[in-house]
Amino acid sequence: MEELMQILEELRPDVDFENETALITDGVLDSFDIVALVGELNDAFDIEIKPNNLVPDNFNSAKAMMALIEELQDE
Amino acid sequence: MEKSILCRLDSSAQRYPEKVMFKDESQSITFGGFNSLTKAVGTFLAGKIAPGEPVAVMSGRHALTPSCFLGVVRAGGFYAPMDGDMPKTRLNQILGVIEAKTMLVDKAHLETAQQLDFSGEIIVFEDICDTPADESLLAERADSITVTSPLYVIFTSGSTGVPKGVITSHQSLMCYIDAVGKVLSIDDTDIFGNQSPLDYIAAIRDIYLPITFGASTFIIPKNEFAVPTALFNTLNREKITALCWSVAGVELPAKLGAFDEGKPEYLKKLCFSGSVMPCRYLKIWQENLPDVLYVNQYGPTEATASCTYYVVKEKVDDDTVLPIGKPYDNYRIALLNEDNSPTPMGETGEICVSGPILALGYYGNSEQTEKSFMQNPLNDKYRELIYKTGDLGSYDLDGNLLFHGRKDRQIKHLGHRIELGEIEETAKKIEGVTDCCALYNKPKATLTLFYTGQATSKEIVLYFRQNMPAFMVPRKLISLEKLPTLPNGKTDMQTLKSYF
Repeated sequence: MEELMQILEELRPDVDFENETALITDGVLDSFDIVALVGELNDAFDIEIKPNNLVPDNFNSAKAMMALIEELQDE
Repeated sequence: MEKSILCRLDSSAQRYPEKVMFKDESQSITFGGFNSLTKAVGTFLAGKIAPGEPVAVMSGRHALTPSCFLGVVRAGGFYAPMDGDMPKTRLNQILGVIEAKTMLVDKAHLETAQQLDFSGEIIVFEDICDTPADESLLAERADSITVTSPLYVIFTSGSTGVPKGVITSHQSLMCYIDAVGKVLSIDDTDIFGNQSPLDYIAAIRDIYLPITFGASTFIIPKNEFAVPTALFNTLNREKITALCWSVAGVELPAKLGAFDEGKPEYLKKLCFSGSVMPCRYLKIWQENLPDVLYVNQYGPTEATASCTYYVVKEKVDDDTVLPIGKPYDNYRIALLNEDNSPTPMGETGEICVSGPILALGYYGNSEQTEKSFMQNPLNDKYRELIYKTGDLGSYDLDGNLLFHGRKDRQIKHLGHRIELGEIEETAKKIEGVTDCCALYNKPKATLTLFYTGQATSKEIVLYFRQNMPAFMVPRKLISLEKLPTLPNGKTDMQTLKSYF
């Protein structure tokens, strides 16, 4: 989780990732952010985020992202 | 010849009074409704501005924004569109250049507008849309426009740290729209899916192709581009037939695998521009939609959006490099060497454009204008301006133009044009940044800033977020003790690139 928070913090220091729960739905993260983030997460956690993972539910909060990462790591 | 875009607006409103012209997720407007709105806005504004005056327009991503733009034109003025989501510093810079006395905003942007360094009058669109049209006043204002009058001023990155306002005339716009409409065979059955921000040059297709050909445009909600499956659902629900998108926009669904879930069933035409198309993504489009017309476009804002086009007839492979093709109608291309001599066939030279599609220059900046728009050095007989694009090109054996990158430090990032110098000028304003160098990591599409000084990367990103558009915020910050230098004292960018 710490590593994820660091990546998010570096990507968008202006966003409160601890508490935001509608990052995609409210448009806090835009498509530029998502493209950059997917690349960073794939590299850092040695995972491959697939198209069907790219739904708001998986990226709306840091917690949801962590859950997705763990799920993909288990595969 | 039509005198202005208003002739086209009158004609399409007459032909398609009840047809939907612009639509977004919550509202739509017909050609007739649109025309009436522009007349209401135009009548009100005609009481505020003199003919030929600029009006700054800040209105959201919705179906009524184009009527603000054309309302200004009805009043005999020209518009400078501004994206209210941009940081205030940026908006203030634009206002500083355009020096408009009047700003037209939608209600949602009134508060933002009031916080800007603007001493003129702010007019709220919703308050004036019921103004009864004064036809004789509007006719008088329409008569004051000539084909070479400015239509809009669109801002783009400037290397000195101040955005440049590119002025486009009615004539230039109409030449381009006719040319692109012909290549794409646009007619009144087409429905566009708008991707570009409405204040950005790429949106002129989505706004003016409907006005000219009776087509419609659906404005796609911005956050759908982060959710590729939702995006394709929207294209199908709205029966979208034509897309004029940035390369970055075309890449997104292919990259994020949207085709695994479905495809845009109604799509017939896809034209893309803004940067070099990586063909491994175009291949995915072609495999899923083999019958769509694919058109690669090239060109700068200074030549009214695009100057050349290439119809992709071949099946592309991962490593195919698409030509940028041949000039559109009313565009002329010449390749020039460093010393202004003509570039021999097959060799690489700077791409220079001429024709009635050239911008009128940079607003309030004669110095930059004269540097970029100059007398064609190959013509000593009569006045003929060319625009030196700063892009390098050569011809292949079929007479198609090939693109070979930039001669300066301008880059294309996610469809936006950025001067790396402007990133550096901005970073240098931050306390704790002593020296810096901005570079683009192309394979990773990441804007990178190398810097020296005590500032933390968080401080730097925060400053950019507050002062620059999102696409100009560096994604990667690398703090160094000292920037590497070449023997001549200049920053050694090649060494820096090895740190990516």
